[in-house]
Amino acid sequence: MSSRWYPIYQKGNPQLRIFLPNFWMKLVRSKEPLPPNVVEFHVPLAMTNHDIKNYLEKIYNVTVKHVESTLENGKLKRSYGKVGFITKEEDYRRAIVTLPKTESFTFPDICPKEKQEESEKERKEMKEQQANALKKFTDRNSNNPGIPNWFRI
Amino acid sequence: MLTVSLCHNLAKMSLPSSLSLCQRHIQMLRKHPIQKAIHTSSKLLDLNEFFDSPKNFGAEQVRVGRSWRKEELRVKSSSDLHKLWYVLLKEQNMLKTMEHECKEKFIVFPNPERIDKVQESMENLEDVIRERNVAYFQLETTHTGERPAELIDNAFGLKEVYTKSEYDVPKELNKEWQKNNPVIDNRTLAVKKFLVLLKEKLLKKEYAKMKNEEKEVAQIFATYKDVDVEAVQEKYPDVDVEEVRQSDKARGNWAP
Repeated sequence: MSSRWYPIYQKGNPQLRIFLPNFWMKLVRSKEPLPPNVVEFHVPLAMTNHDIKNYLEKIYNVTVKHVESTLENGKLKRSYGKVGFITKEEDYRRAIVTLPKTESFTFPDICPKEKQEESEKERKEMKEQQANALKKFTDRNSNNPGIPNWFRI
Repeated sequence: MLTVSLCHNLAKMSLPSSLSLCQRHIQMLRKHPIQKAIHTSSKLLDLNEFFDSPKNFGAEQVRVGRSWRKEELRVKSSSDLHKLWYVLLKEQNMLKTMEHECKEKFIVFPNPERIDKVQESMENLEDVIRERNVAYFQLETTHTGERPAELIDNAFGLKEVYTKSEYDVPKELNKEWQKNNPVIDNRTLAVKKFLVLLKEKLLKKEYAKMKNEEKEVAQIFATYKDVDVEAVQEKYPDVDVEEVRQSDKARGNWAP
């Protein structure tokens, strides 16, 4: 039996087990405010609530109290340009997972302000340098009227 | 850290010359000290495992290695592969989460090829497991344990790979299945006509391709005076280059 083809389950047979699960899970910041012990996930369509609970408990060692999930459509997008054909993102399952009341999860800030400011500062410096270099080049022969700036004396 | 310090202490000690082998060892260790003799598994961070380490937050570039190759995975034991699969799965989940969050926040996701690398190594791992599975099944039960498939003629009379699957009831007895999957006769006149037309179309396509190549070869001889004929023949194996060279089309604008 190959690893991705499972026999049909007959009542009384031993339980089917997955050795190499290929389900992915995304932890997502929810658009609506949730209680601190509730987390939102995006998972593949084929995953059931039972699968989600097992996945989190066995692989991530997280205790799960309750799982609810809905099917969501992928976004429709019209491409820019003359043709403007429509593309669709993949469908997914939105899972709302409830942890025990004692636990709380806060979504981390993945772009801290300090780093953002630093990168912005660098970008500004670069722009200034470029502008200065251009000005130096254009004003090269300003004292010698009638001579183009690419000409060096 | 413990092992490293021990090595250095050993190297500092002066030893009698009779232990030349040991000294050589110490010299080797001096050159290449053991950096990491003890290895521990990663910390369990629960839901924070879905995120990258905080030092990579807001980074413009995250440097990582290459993906796992098949020949490297073939050496590993099955239990090692099983462990590695979960490491890769967690890494993939982390990367997908970070990519999604970056998209939401309008930031550039650093090094998106990391996802491809993880997926490639996962594919390789699965292939290696599959190889082992097939070998095991052929030893135990003469046939590969792969999903059975068959080459069939479909409704249009074309060859198609039909992958079989298991059913509770055999299809001879399953009335409902028979109703949903009626047998389509593909030996009718319409199908025969279609196949003739399809064959004609494919032949025409092939002929056009051949003629196009001939034209290209003639163009080459017409534009360049001294051309290596063998090299042209190598590039266009289906064309009789010598014949095309002597034709009228291949004549250039110079005296022969």
